[in-house]
Amino acid sequence: MIGMRPLVSVVDDDESVRESLPDLLRQFGFAVQAFASAEAFLASEALGDTRCLILDVAMPGMSGPELQLELTRRWQTIPIVFITAQGDETIRRRLLAHGAVECLFKPFSETELLDALGVALR
Amino acid sequence: MKVDLDRIVESFPGLVATMSLPGELDYLNQAVLDFFGKTAAELRSWAESDVIHPDDLPRVVSEFREAIAAGSPYTSAAHRCRRADGVYRWFQTRALPMRDADARIIGWSILLTEIDDLKRTEDALRASERSLRLIIDSIPTLAWSSRPDGSVEFFNQHYLDYVGLPAEQVLGFGWRTAFHPDDLERIADGWERIRASAQAGEHEGRLRRHDGEYRWFLFRLNPFRDESGNLVKWYGTSTDIDARRRAEDELRRSEAFLAEGQRLSSIGTFYWRRDTDEITFSEELYRILDWNRDLRVTRERAFQRILPRVHPEDLRLLSDGMARSLGTGGDQDLEIRLLDPDGSLKYLHILSRESRDLDGGIEQIGAVQDVTARRTSEEALGRARSELAHVVSAMSLGVLTASIAHEINQPLAGIVTNASTCLRMLAADPPDLAGARETARRTIRDGNRASDVIARLRALFSRKEPTSDPVDMNDATREVIALSSRELQRNRVILQSDLASDLPIVSGDRVQLQQVILNLVRNASEAMAAVEDRPRQLLIRTEREDVDRVRVSVRDAGVGVARESMSKLFDAFYTTKSGGMGIGLSVSRSIVERHGGRLWAETNEGPGATFAFSIPAMRTL
Repeated sequence: MIGMRPLVSVVDDDESVRESLPDLLRQFGFAVQAFASAEAFLASEALGDTRCLILDVAMPGMSGPELQLELTRRWQTIPIVFITAQGDETIRRRLLAHGAVECLFKPFSETELLDALGVALR
Repeated sequence: MKVDLDRIVESFPGLVATMSLPGELDYLNQAVLDFFGKTAAELRSWAESDVIHPDDLPRVVSEFREAIAAGSPYTSAAHRCRRADGVYRWFQTRALPMRDADARIIGWSILLTEIDDLKRTEDALRASERSLRLIIDSIPTLAWSSRPDGSVEFFNQHYLDYVGLPAEQVLGFGWRTAFHPDDLERIADGWERIRASAQAGEHEGRLRRHDGEYRWFLFRLNPFRDESGNLVKWYGTSTDIDARRRAEDELRRSEAFLAEGQRLSSIGTFYWRRDTDEITFSEELYRILDWNRDLRVTRERAFQRILPRVHPEDLRLLSDGMARSLGTGGDQDLEIRLLDPDGSLKYLHILSRESRDLDGGIEQIGAVQDVTARRTSEEALGRARSELAHVVSAMSLGVLTASIAHEINQPLAGIVTNASTCLRMLAADPPDLAGARETARRTIRDGNRASDVIARLRALFSRKEPTSDPVDMNDATREVIALSSRELQRNRVILQSDLASDLPIVSGDRVQLQQVILNLVRNASEAMAAVEDRPRQLLIRTEREDVDRVRVSVRDAGVGVARESMSKLFDAFYTTKSGGMGIGLSVSRSIVERHGGRLWAETNEGPGATFAFSIPAMRTL
């Protein structure tokens, strides 16, 4: 347990995101855990404590949308903010339609990220 | 005046006698005695003498006896009597019974009439008839005569032999039995029509030969009138026209066959005799040209009605074709479009040949095929194909862009996030300098990473070295021409090529070089798409340049290139085309440059532009 700060989990196969994003989120005042794959996240204890999931769309192995589906199947209603390097509006619309809080196109700004987290943790 | 009966009988200008009931001659007038030169007593024993010709005597005796026995008037057949000078003359004998007041026969009065002249005329006539009959029976035609009611009274022997039936079976109305059952009604109608007209006439039908074969005959009939003008007879001949009839049938069948073929293949034919301007259209051509069949085809009409409907873009093609045809008399092969009254287009493929007919006149024979259905589907296919090509290229470009974006966006995301973090750390109280330093370091690292991605992409695209094979640029050009000729024809581009015969072999990637030529040809064609006021001419030329280089140029008559745009032409995304991506020329130039050559454009003296490239020839070892 990391005090009373809400836990935000970051799942992304890209190392530079796993390095940079948790630092920024900590600056925002969140507790952060980063995972290199969807499988690693599902296997971790963070699963139950995570208040918001920042999830990459395209990953080797289980993809972001597949993880979203798996969580729904497990009745885990964690608000998800997708992030993707593929600036595709149709994918974004589909993800939002399936219950994602937001889908941010990389590179996204600090403000966009804060707005999305604000909605997720409301 | 009292008349002395004896004197009358005595001076009667004929041979008169009476006979008593027992059959004895009793009275004989002087004329009788004079003719025979015999006494009455001698003549009374006529039946035992030679006064009647021995050949005729038995018949006359027996007939006469019968008449007497029956008591009925008697008229003998012709018989010969011996004149006083010994010459037999032909006579006819008539005898009438004489009766008393109670109507009992009391004797016979007899009149002998000399019929020798009549008899001889009759014989001559009969002989003449026999001879005529012989002629009629022998002439090699079927002849017959009929009564006004249509019943036949005579068939010549040839006719009877032909049908192989006895006369009694075909005479009267029996003639019907020798005709084809299917034709009977028509023949009866024809016969009826001619009889009603009372004029000479003819009709046709099938007659059965003795061997059972039915053959076509022409029946000719002539009315025969007596002196008062009454129609008393019909004379007829029947002529075998089977061969002609079969040839006609054959012709009809062959014409029907041809017409059906034309209808199925939508091919119409025409015949145009130049000196008389006699023009003939086939059935199908009337349909193709929507020409009213009742309107006779003349040259003026053809020009007046068809030319205004020819698509304006094809008028020149048509007039050139006609001019060429008139000049050389050679074959023509062109395709034009007609505007239908309903506004739709009709595509016509016209083939024609000019030649001389038997009289030496110039004639043009041609075929016109309606290829609308084919062209429409081809155009639809072409449209679909080019749309597909566009989708494919747009898609591959999209995929490429997406993968580039993905590769770049990843480090960019890191850079932006790190920079944000860095700013926040510096703004904290107290500032987290160590953290800021770390995030700044990461920003630099991600920046380098992005630059690495770009370098990798460049490497990816320039990695493939072109193959180096000997290439005959003439061959390569010909293949491109063959490949694009349909498309050019569809775009109404007139393609000419001028390939140098002394072209050296170059070394390079044949497919890539062909892509360059194809790209230049397509650009040229597209540059002329809007040209309507002049021929869309495209010239592909290969030539030797400076001994050891090969130049390929593509000259169009299109909209041309403004001088100030020349330098931008080869920029990757610059285009003068409304729908194009404009990437072709820059790719082409990079291909040419990889072959150690150069690609350039220049404006023409006349309309349009010329794009050319030159590459070095293969070094000979």
